[in-house]
Amino acid sequence: MNALTAIGEVLVLIGTFFYLLSALGLIRMPDVYNRMQTSTKSATLGSLGVMIGVGIWALGEDFGSVAWLTKTIVIALFLLLTNPVSAHALIRAAYKSGIPLWEGSVMDKYREYIESKTRAPESEEGETPEEGGEE
Amino acid sequence: MLKRALAIISLLIIGYWLAQGLAGVPFGQDRMLVGQYYLDHVKEQTGAVNAVTAVVVNYRGFDTLGEVTVLFIASTGVGALLWRKKRERTAKTEGSIVLTTGTRLLAPFIMLFGAYIFIHGHLTPGGGFPGGATIATAFLLLYMAFTVYEIPHKAFEKVEGAVGMSYVLVGLIGLAIGGYFLFDWIWQTWGWGHNNIGRLFSGGFIPVIYTVIGIKVGTELSGIVDNMLKEEVRE
Repeated sequence: MNALTAIGEVLVLIGTFFYLLSALGLIRMPDVYNRMQTSTKSATLGSLGVMIGVGIWALGEDFGSVAWLTKTIVIALFLLLTNPVSAHALIRAAYKSGIPLWEGSVMDKYREYIESKTRAPESEEGETPEEGGEE
Repeated sequence: MLKRALAIISLLIIGYWLAQGLAGVPFGQDRMLVGQYYLDHVKEQTGAVNAVTAVVVNYRGFDTLGEVTVLFIASTGVGALLWRKKRERTAKTEGSIVLTTGTRLLAPFIMLFGAYIFIHGHLTPGGGFPGGATIATAFLLLYMAFTVYEIPHKAFEKVEGAVGMSYVLVGLIGLAIGGYFLFDWIWQTWGWGHNNIGRLFSGGFIPVIYTVIGIKVGTELSGIVDNMLKEEVRE
């Protein structure tokens, strides 16, 4: 039980706490967008904490080696890069398939943007092929 | 309602019956007969540290050949079922810029990781099938993010056939210079890599076979994805 082990354990604890918060947010939040907001952010952060924590924890143990930390850093980086992208795609798909915002929401700038962009009357929400994409 | 109740009751009866059959098998006891042999001899007989891949490729290579055949038949079957003269991707919505940029950044890394998995089949968990599936995932990601993306068909189909043949060829070389089909000639006859068990250049022909299988599975699953994402074009 040295300093590295202690740091690792604290990081894992923080990570699991964020996992718990993320699960709580899934239950607690009113609509899809808020739920995605809470769950994605805190689950990503929690995973980072747990992974890096495990790597540092293994450094402190006598069986551990640097290989653990490098592997966990690689996994954490991958998760850090992929998780926001997948959350973005999910949210966007949810919006495009017409899932409404929470009734307490006050403004929807994205809807206004889409409507201002497609002045043509026959095109409704979610049917704008060129919007957002670069090609 | 009656149908559902009958289904649940019959499922419960079947489940109870299976559980009764399994109740005689104690959990967590050492009941290995052949397994102990594998565990004892896997290192000096195959050079692999990963016993699973050694069993799958070396001791029971025919199974793997059969699985590769099954995948090939599945790919061919999908191709045959969905065959039309003129088929194109009819996807209209390009992925958002976050998705396309993320795919551009991530796809090479996913392919790299897939290659890592199948090259290190004799050292780490995994092997040809997970590695190939990972590579196919990268292609699926490209298909999902870009409306215009399409795999190079000619090259893919040729590579698929060529690696499938080279698997059989490796086995036939074993038959020629060793003793039987899928005989590990690199390890048993040449003795190549005997002194570095646990490193990359060991494991006899397991890395070779798994590279072949990985490329085959990757191209096959990508081909299935490609077939299923295309729709018939009306003239």
